[in-house]
Amino acid sequence: MLRALLEADLTVQLRNGRALLLTFFPPLAVLYGLSTAKRGAQLGGPIVNVALALTLGIALIAILGYTASVARDRELGVFQRLRVTPAPTWTIMVSRLSVQVVSMLAMSVVVLAAAAVIEKVTLDPAAYLLTLAMVIFCSAVFLGVGQALVGLIKSVDTVNALGRLSFLPLVALGLFGHSDVFGTTFETISRWSPGGAVATLLSGAMRPVAWTADTWWALLASVLYSIIFAGIGIRWFQWSTR
Amino acid sequence: MSDTGQTARHALALQVEDLRVSYGPKRAVDGVALEINEGEIFGLLGPNGAGKTTTLSAIEGLVRPDSGSIRIGDIDARTNPAAAKARMGVQLQSTSFQSNLTIREIVRLYAGLYGVPLTRAGIDDLLANVHLGEEASKRFSQLSGGQQKRVSLVIATIQSPPLVLLDEPTAGLDPQARRQLWDRIERLRDIGRSILLTTHSMEEAQAVCHRVAIIDNGKLITVDTPAGLIEKHKNDPRVLKVAHGQVTLEDVFIGLTGSDLRD
Repeated sequence: MLRALLEADLTVQLRNGRALLLTFFPPLAVLYGLSTAKRGAQLGGPIVNVALALTLGIALIAILGYTASVARDRELGVFQRLRVTPAPTWTIMVSRLSVQVVSMLAMSVVVLAAAAVIEKVTLDPAAYLLTLAMVIFCSAVFLGVGQALVGLIKSVDTVNALGRLSFLPLVALGLFGHSDVFGTTFETISRWSPGGAVATLLSGAMRPVAWTADTWWALLASVLYSIIFAGIGIRWFQWSTR
Repeated sequence: MSDTGQTARHALALQVEDLRVSYGPKRAVDGVALEINEGEIFGLLGPNGAGKTTTLSAIEGLVRPDSGSIRIGDIDARTNPAAAKARMGVQLQSTSFQSNLTIREIVRLYAGLYGVPLTRAGIDDLLANVHLGEEASKRFSQLSGGQQKRVSLVIATIQSPPLVLLDEPTAGLDPQARRQLWDRIERLRDIGRSILLTTHSMEEAQAVCHRVAIIDNGKLITVDTPAGLIEKHKNDPRVLKVAHGQVTLEDVFIGLTGSDLRD
């Protein structure tokens, strides 16, 4: 059953190739912008710039792409049709989420390749593998946020609007987690926001030798964010718009 | 239970007892009981909001009943929903499939979900049987209403289920498409399938249903053959009041459920 769902969901995602490619551009633009901006180094340097670009890409796919597709299919009645089959409901969601994770990995490969050119950031193979593993891990934070959004709100338009609005506290705030440009209090808040924790974790994965206590705390924070958001999104998920 | 009683239970494709479903404070289904025999086409009639779709949704496992029992053959649908769903084919009132999949891919997906091994040639044969061979590479949204209903019926019967639930299967279809769908429903009955359908069409109920039940305000008002219902209620003053000449099934329906407009 899961295989049939995965095959179908992957086909749908590939048919939406243009939309998928569009989600690659913002992280690449941010990467380029941070690397050329005068104050770029103040946000944390090249490794942090790459981590921030990855964080943005993961959040875009999860909070905008995933929520939009789930909200639209729910409104069309796609989930209700699937739910009357013997397939357990968890397989329907796991299939959807797995395809999003594959998209995030594809985006990450593109961003890491671009980072080698733009930021001259190259990692050893183990660090690349650890970074991609952390991308999968971090995807849970933002997919959890997306799941909570689309789980609690039925209206497609409201889901889309709130998805965009939530970028500010969840992602944009995290851009300053490694910079005291707005003061140390703001830096602390930023660092422990979902975006900040994910960026810290990804930058730690890219430099395993410099893995610090802060990276472990970021790992713990990410786990907590994932459990809280995904828990809300799964517990109160509404399968139909009725 | 006696041996005779057990034999009778095994001959039932669907047995619903004292089903109650609420949406918040509103009781949508209130003590509904139904029995559908093997090879029977059973129609559920009722005005909008009467509880037809909610009854079906409870049987399909889409809504959780407050109380009552639902048995699909000898399977308790409330304690073993996956096994019950495997024995049921479902056509929802408004069905939609993943918008970017072709009809062939949709059939392959649902065959996979029911564990039915189908090759590409097998899928194409299945679609050709319902005159959709040419449409196999199209998206669901590109099909006409009649073609969409045929795809839905193919998927509802893909695993050859003993029980098929059809929620307003001919709503919105032109007379030709409606007649074709009736033929397909009757062919399903001919091969031993039991069918529970909801409809607003008295003509449809009389044409294809062995027995019909009228439901209103969540309660089952009456159950009989279409002819039996007319016979039973032809002298009911409520029915006579709305009849224009010879009493029809529609007169019985309106007489028992009232003339007021519903949602």
